[in-house]
Amino acid sequence: MAAITHTSDHSHDDHHGPLHHQFESIEQQNESYIVGMWTFLVTEVMFFGALFLTYTLYRAMYQHDFFVAHEHLSIPMGAFNTIVLLISSFTMVLAVHFAQLKRARAVIANLWLTIALAGVFLVVKYFEYTSKFADNLYPGPSFTANKAVFEHNGHVPEIDLNHAQIFYGLYFGMTGLHAVHIIVGILVLAALARMWMKGNRLVTEDFVPTELVGLYWHFVDLVWIFLFPLMYLMPKPH
Amino acid sequence: MSADTQSHEHHIVPVRTYFATLIALMVLMGLTVGVYFIDLPGLGGFLTGTVVNQTVALIIAIIKALLVIMIFMGVKWSTPLTKLWVAAGFVTFSLMFFILVDYGTRREYEPVPAWDKAGESATPRGFPPGSQSVPSNNINLRPRG
Repeated sequence: MAAITHTSDHSHDDHHGPLHHQFESIEQQNESYIVGMWTFLVTEVMFFGALFLTYTLYRAMYQHDFFVAHEHLSIPMGAFNTIVLLISSFTMVLAVHFAQLKRARAVIANLWLTIALAGVFLVVKYFEYTSKFADNLYPGPSFTANKAVFEHNGHVPEIDLNHAQIFYGLYFGMTGLHAVHIIVGILVLAALARMWMKGNRLVTEDFVPTELVGLYWHFVDLVWIFLFPLMYLMPKPH
Repeated sequence: MSADTQSHEHHIVPVRTYFATLIALMVLMGLTVGVYFIDLPGLGGFLTGTVVNQTVALIIAIIKALLVIMIFMGVKWSTPLTKLWVAAGFVTFSLMFFILVDYGTRREYEPVPAWDKAGESATPRGFPPGSQSVPSNNINLRPRG
């Protein structure tokens, strides 16, 4: 990023940022940026995809145990976090929209709003994880030997604790990896907001860097759109 | 690659389009939670009620994902190369799930049922396949042979 130099001799309309010398036109430059970002996102899709594949395989094998284990998760908390992430995607898209219109104050406000919503998501996640730790549901040698933690509607269901442990391995692995992406997103969004506040021409003259951060943030939302129904809303075997 | 085929004016999407998308996403999220509490009937064969419920939930998730990709990520207004790139990525992702067909053909062996008792599931190294002479110390070893 730092190596990019601005050329002043190329003509460009004031809607777009400066055209860098290696590109023929602003369209080609923008397309290169977007395709490059999508290349990264596709590797992320495959990264999470392998975990979704693992989930599918074990879910098919241990349908009943996964269902019983998943009932310990809180649907209200999961649904609340889904709403928070969807709204954060909306504020992110507004930031990109205002970046196109070069309204810096609106961009900065929406970026900070997105960061705040990401923070809310992590706080809810913290409470969810804490309640799982309290019941020794973290996979490993200390995984619960007590079936009573899966009590639901007044009775303790039949469950194989080893299979429940696989479910919680996937739960912590997938939501944990997703949470890492949220944390990285917060850092990137904060760096972008700081550039806007300092009036750095790299972002104020060209909306595409803001759009690229937006693509990453929407991807994080995209993963959660699948994690929420698969982890929290597992249909009852019937 | 030529700029001649593309518009010089970047498409600015009105805020109301984004807001409508957000509302649609919220409604779909409510719908998917609602469906969770209803046990849909099975359609016979392997299409049990569970499969029908899960399919409905996944279809809703895919619609939500398409809304995010098309509107929020702006793929709808992007260049043909970007569209091709995105489509290729998700097609490759779905191809990966064909690995499951392979697992279906050797269900007895993989994934390794390492969580089950050693005597029932695994033949330790050095023992002939199917041997019952397994130390009952609950240590799980990969099946060999």
